[in-house]
Amino acid sequence: MSARPLRVVGRPVPRVDGLEKVTGRARYVTDLVLPGMAHARVMRSPYAHARVRRVDVTRARALTGVLAALSGAELTWCEPYYGPAYRDRPVLAIDVARYEGEPVAAVAAVDEATADAALDLIEVDYEPLPPVITLEEALAAGAPLVHTGKPQAGIFADLSTLRPEPGTNICHQFHFARGDSAGALASADLVLDDTYRFPPVQHYAMEPHAAVAVWSETDGLTIWASSQNPYSVRVELAKMFDVPLARIRVVVPHLGGGFGSKTYAKLEPLAAALARAAGRPVRLAASVAEAFQTVRRCAARVHVRVGFRRDGLLVAVECDADYDVGAYADIGPRVVQKATYTATGPYRVPHVELAARAVYTNTTPGGAFRGFGVPQLAWALESLVDAAADRLGRDPVELRRQNFLAHGEEFAPGDTPIDGKLEESLSRAAEAIGWTRASAADRGRGVAAMLKASVAPSVSEAIVRLHTDGSVSVLASAVEMGQGTRTVLAQIAAEVLCVPLARVTVVQPDTAVTPYDQTTSSSRSTTMTGRAVQVASEDVREQLLRITAEALGVATRDLTLDEGAVVAPARRLPYAEVLLLRFGMSGGELIGRGVIAPGRTAAPLGGSTPFWEMAVGAAEVSVDEETGAVRVERYVSVADVGRAVNPLLLEGQDEGGVVQGLGHTLLEEMLYADGHLLNGTLLLYRVPRADDAPPALECHFVENADGSGPFGAKGAGEGSLIPVSPAVANALARLTGVRLRDLPLTPERVWRALRARR
Amino acid sequence: MNLTMVVNGSSHELDVAPHSLLLDVLRDSLDLKGAKRSCDTQVCGACTVLVDGQAVSACTYLAVEADGCSLLTVEGLADGEALDPLQRAFLDAGAVQCGFCTSGMLLTARALLRENAAPSREDILHYLRGSLCRCTGYRKIVEAIMTAARTTR
Amino acid sequence: MLRPFTLHRPETAEDACALLATLGEDAAPYAGGTELLLLMKLGLLRPPHLVDVKRIAGFGDIADGTRLTIGATVTHRTLERSPLVRARCPLVASVARHVANVRVRNVGTVGGNLAFADPHSDLATLFLTLDATVELVSPRGRRELSLAEFVRGPWETARRPDELLASVRLSPWPTGTGAAYVKFGVHERPTLGIAVALRLDGAGERARVADARVAIGCVSPRPMRVEAAEARVNGVAEAELGDVTGAMADAAAESVDPADDLHGSAEYKREMVAVFVRRALRVAVARARGAELSASFPHAVVA
Repeated sequence: MSARPLRVVGRPVPRVDGLEKVTGRARYVTDLVLPGMAHARVMRSPYAHARVRRVDVTRARALTGVLAALSGAELTWCEPYYGPAYRDRPVLAIDVARYEGEPVAAVAAVDEATADAALDLIEVDYEPLPPVITLEEALAAGAPLVHTGKPQAGIFADLSTLRPEPGTNICHQFHFARGDSAGALASADLVLDDTYRFPPVQHYAMEPHAAVAVWSETDGLTIWASSQNPYSVRVELAKMFDVPLARIRVVVPHLGGGFGSKTYAKLEPLAAALARAAGRPVRLAASVAEAFQTVRRCAARVHVRVGFRRDGLLVAVECDADYDVGAYADIGPRVVQKATYTATGPYRVPHVELAARAVYTNTTPGGAFRGFGVPQLAWALESLVDAAADRLGRDPVELRRQNFLAHGEEFAPGDTPIDGKLEESLSRAAEAIGWTRASAADRGRGVAAMLKASVAPSVSEAIVRLHTDGSVSVLASAVEMGQGTRTVLAQIAAEVLCVPLARVTVVQPDTAVTPYDQTTSSSRSTTMTGRAVQVASEDVREQLLRITAEALGVATRDLTLDEGAVVAPARRLPYAEVLLLRFGMSGGELIGRGVIAPGRTAAPLGGSTPFWEMAVGAAEVSVDEETGAVRVERYVSVADVGRAVNPLLLEGQDEGGVVQGLGHTLLEEMLYADGHLLNGTLLLYRVPRADDAPPALECHFVENADGSGPFGAKGAGEGSLIPVSPAVANALARLTGVRLRDLPLTPERVWRALRARR
Repeated sequence: MNLTMVVNGSSHELDVAPHSLLLDVLRDSLDLKGAKRSCDTQVCGACTVLVDGQAVSACTYLAVEADGCSLLTVEGLADGEALDPLQRAFLDAGAVQCGFCTSGMLLTARALLRENAAPSREDILHYLRGSLCRCTGYRKIVEAIMTAARTTR
Repeated sequence: MLRPFTLHRPETAEDACALLATLGEDAAPYAGGTELLLLMKLGLLRPPHLVDVKRIAGFGDIADGTRLTIGATVTHRTLERSPLVRARCPLVASVARHVANVRVRNVGTVGGNLAFADPHSDLATLFLTLDATVELVSPRGRRELSLAEFVRGPWETARRPDELLASVRLSPWPTGTGAAYVKFGVHERPTLGIAVALRLDGAGERARVADARVAIGCVSPRPMRVEAAEARVNGVAEAELGDVTGAMADAAAESVDPADDLHGSAEYKREMVAVFVRRALRVAVARARGAELSASFPHAVVA
């Protein structure tokens, strides 16, 4: 690696897809129109739990303009079940509808109006069954079972040991222990034991899920999908329709936000089935109301016991978490296990016992959502750390500092050592919020920290092509969903190949064109896909150097790259000339390949995290004592990112993470009554508005270039969200003496707590 | 019903059903896909277009109401290749992420600046009450609007 | 998406009423559509005929007189910016400025707002303190009802199927009246709306509260004037207001009929009524004195 200063990496360049977006020219899946394209509509269960005795689509099918009408029972020509953890989710309900809003039948017609009219002609006989909506109901002895059969395992290696508990609604259990937590708690000077709750919340990616599918004899299935991981969608579709992977093409155009809601197959199986039945391209575009019926964050009840020595040393943590994964497992079991593995947060804890259950309920399936289960646990642990500081008479900042894992310290045997400096993030956050200065009498300050593992093992591949004019194509399948990965990947390739950013094009994901990438989630793209692009770019660079060295008869070590040219001691060869040397004509291209695949390791979950995501949040809040309304006046987020490849976009990500975190902290909760979702539209489900953002919001980055990603970068984007709830609640507790255990901190909840204090 | 409207400076004559929503006419008949359907309940602002300079939710607005009106959609903001100061400011400030709210944000801001050339931060927050963004923390959007206001003056 | 319907665009109230009379329950009056089209998209209403009332002469006018007459199809935005409204009923303009969002205000109408009788309407609550009456027209003629008579309950009014809401008439407060409207809530629509208006008769220490009006919306099936609360402050010397504010707020809290719902428990709402009646009173009294308090509360709008 050359030691020359970075040219493009580290600079706040505007996003490469920005122009298309500000001019309205960017095309999302819902904007696509294919010749002959039919439009789909879905009939959904009005019951949280019901036996589906009969679905008759005959009259719908007979309506002029209807091209396909499907019920679950008729899907005998494909494998109707899918799911990444368990294959427990039918494309359309078969025999049983397990949540309100579950697809029961679907039609495709020449236009939306006809499809709508056809839905009215579908007859369904339901026999309502008693539902289980809450964790308590689902875990009660003799509770009605959401699933009675034994589902097939899905696609994840680290879930090969799925542990359902037959005869209950528990679909997976996870257990992790080291040391002797019972003994350590018994001899601890301070033991705190408490239960915290995290609500089910909706991603509300502004673009609801959408897919356009078309089949052809030669190419198989092509599907344009609003997906964060086209390769996971591909493998599901291949299994369901018994088609070789090579004949399934998943294309992802611009994506209108994801936050986890578009990981793994969602609408794609149904769109593909309808397209097959219709013999035409079919567009299936969900409404936001339907997105509420597609996926949500797993709610959780987290029971934590922490033990401290009098001097503040954290000696033991026991955690017992129940996650509500809804009616179908989706990736819930993995959310539960990945998160619980790091339930001890960023602390050194010798004695640990962690257990978690993924619990089925008759509600919208719970899946991945920014933070992947960690926000639920951090809410509990970080609240308890502050409660402990209070009891120990310690400053919460100092207590955290005392117990932080150190840079290079082992988290668990076989897993990646800690690759950042938590204490630096904490100091920066404390300084920025003015921790040691007195706050105004009506303000309170709080901090919280987080640590999160990324998905492992995982694979990212990239291809970089240098064309005869010296321009570069980057082929990678990380999905641009607003986080800026397309710009970041372009910056990495531009940096390595010494070309202007404008000469680099990052191709949109297309499984027929762009190589394998496991998923765009888990804050992994900059590190994993970015590394793959870096390696592929380096591959091209080596080829440029080798060709030039051979042609000029010099050693490669005497060559450097500079602004689109190979520079030899006495000559400067623009890339076009190097390619001319190689091919003897103006044609051909250099192709570089990058594969990042750390593989399985001895780490507890079977793979070592490629990096640790770590961040600290600090909040300053005020409260209207009479109404209970909390206002976050200032917020500081500090994330240890190794290196900010694009500080402007990273700042945008983290500011967005903080405000999204404020959503579940103060406002958001999917509320059910009698099995029905009460607030499944934006009229009733309140997400943060511009005036909810803290008037002072700062996002800082710790950059020690110590990440495993390109140029020392590591993942970011989830970290800023996770500390928000505990930081705000800790601030509120320090201001008022009141500690809340249930999110969101609605005015009424806070008001009740304040009243109980008096 | 016959409908004549000027969209981004071009006159269009269309035959639409009374129940046609403006958003669908713009997107499907005129292929102006910049306005997006998101919440579909007039809360989020993704479908915002300007009808005679006034911001409306095209998702809940009959197309026939725009008869005889002059419309501006995001596609008409730039003057050829020359970006509107708002577009420039959104790009430079990092106020664009996934882009799904962007066209609505830009048009809402355009309507605001037409009414109030020098809005305060509070004026902007007030005007953005019906404009949701789930990616940014809004700070950069507000900043971009203030920058554009300064540039325009 | 919307199901097909026939759109009628009568140019006179007579024609509109004739259509409503003929079509009966198959027709719905249509103005801005911000409520109607929404409910139609959600499938909650499916009228085969819409009768657009926006072309009816006079329906879009605001007329001055002893009372201020606001045509049914005047939009919130027009209300917000009308010099006449700002001069005669300034609080109406400032409350209109905070209805929903700018797009809804640009399109949504005063008549639609009142005729829908959504219990979370800001205007209906405020209008009660302005002794509002509504004018209804039908083939049988015109009648005028007080707003309290007109709004019968949630989404229920005294409008007969062949009647049209033509205008609302407000009685502007006398000079010297101080008033405030405060709304509170985290949801898209307010959890609570409170309007307080009063005058201070007499000067300095001897000033006494007169003509107090208190209206409360969102927390009962329909917005209501609260005479019990008004009675607690009327005639009270300004210097002694502090002593009766609590009783006034309690009277207001006792008079409402809240339900447990997404906005919160009945108990909480009742308590918030007391809190915000006190706050609205403070602002109104200050305004009656010609002063403006810098009052800002989280999740609340003070208009």
